[in-house]
Amino acid sequence: MMIEITEHTRNVLLEVAKKKKIYVEGNFLKILKAPEGDEEFEHYLKICKEKDVNTRKKRLEVTKQVQQQNKELEAAAKENNRVNKQLSKALDETEKAMEEARVAEKEAMIAKSEAEKLRDAAMEDLDSLQKRTQFELMGLIVRVALWVILGVGLLTTALYLYVLSTGADSKIIESTWSNLFGILLTNSFSIIGTIMGVKYASSSNSNKND
Amino acid sequence: MINTLMLIDDENLFHLVFEDACSILDMALSFEALDSSDEADRLFKKWFPNDPDHERPECVFVDLNIIGSSFDGIEMIRKINFEYGDGVVIGIISSSEDEEEIERAKKVGAQFWIIKSDDIEPRLEDFMGDYEAYKAKSAPFKIYR
Repeated sequence: MMIEITEHTRNVLLEVAKKKKIYVEGNFLKILKAPEGDEEFEHYLKICKEKDVNTRKKRLEVTKQVQQQNKELEAAAKENNRVNKQLSKALDETEKAMEEARVAEKEAMIAKSEAEKLRDAAMEDLDSLQKRTQFELMGLIVRVALWVILGVGLLTTALYLYVLSTGADSKIIESTWSNLFGILLTNSFSIIGTIMGVKYASSSNSNKND
Repeated sequence: MINTLMLIDDENLFHLVFEDACSILDMALSFEALDSSDEADRLFKKWFPNDPDHERPECVFVDLNIIGSSFDGIEMIRKINFEYGDGVVIGIISSSEDEEEIERAKKVGAQFWIIKSDDIEPRLEDFMGDYEAYKAKSAPFKIYR
């Protein structure tokens, strides 16, 4: 389907092109046909087509540039989005790690507190064990001393009785027995006092431990 | 030269690129661009079954993924070919080169697949060289890279 231009339209189009530099453009050009043998109008149509193609080429170039810029912007936006997501993820992980650290700290505090309690209990046990050992040692010493005193007392008494029964000189043994018995009696009370003290201390300590 | 050419693509900027490229290559007398497959579906539904004499597009280029539409380009081609009557030269224009999608397109009757890029003109020029064969339904499926 082609449109053949009338004489009047032809003249107006050529006039407008010459004076106003206005040319027909767009797809309409593709269906315009110059009158047979009209070289001037054929030349006009050729100029119109060239101008149209040039205009479209320029527009195409600009559009492609804009399209390219759009693509770059989209890529940059995607990259931003990706980085933001990464940051957000890292932030979440940090918060999670902080939360875990807080929980671990709490657990460590609890463990520390329990360890301190255990340490205190162990110290107390050790202390009481040492005291008990000391008291037992002291009791043993006192008992041995008591037995020694008793032994010495009995030996001296037996010797004194022997001297009396045989009628031998008993002056030295008498004073010795008397002095020794006094000493032994004094020491015995002292030892008994010590034993009582040790027993009292042991019983009050065991009550504390209970 | 193609009488009426239609482009269905969600990227409006590409409408301008395509129209100018077609015009520079003297490909078509008239050009229509739609940004939604739903709109294209509505038009084809109106033209094909009810008004077979209506001026219909002679050739249709469909984008593969039409964002914001109810269905993609391959489904659009299937509808045009199988629901609204055959008779147009139709194919995909997309930046994708997915083999599975290309196979899908072939199955629904797409005649060509043009890879969309910054330098689209040489591909359209090649396409125009084969156009008459597509019109006669004698050309095999072809990918323009």
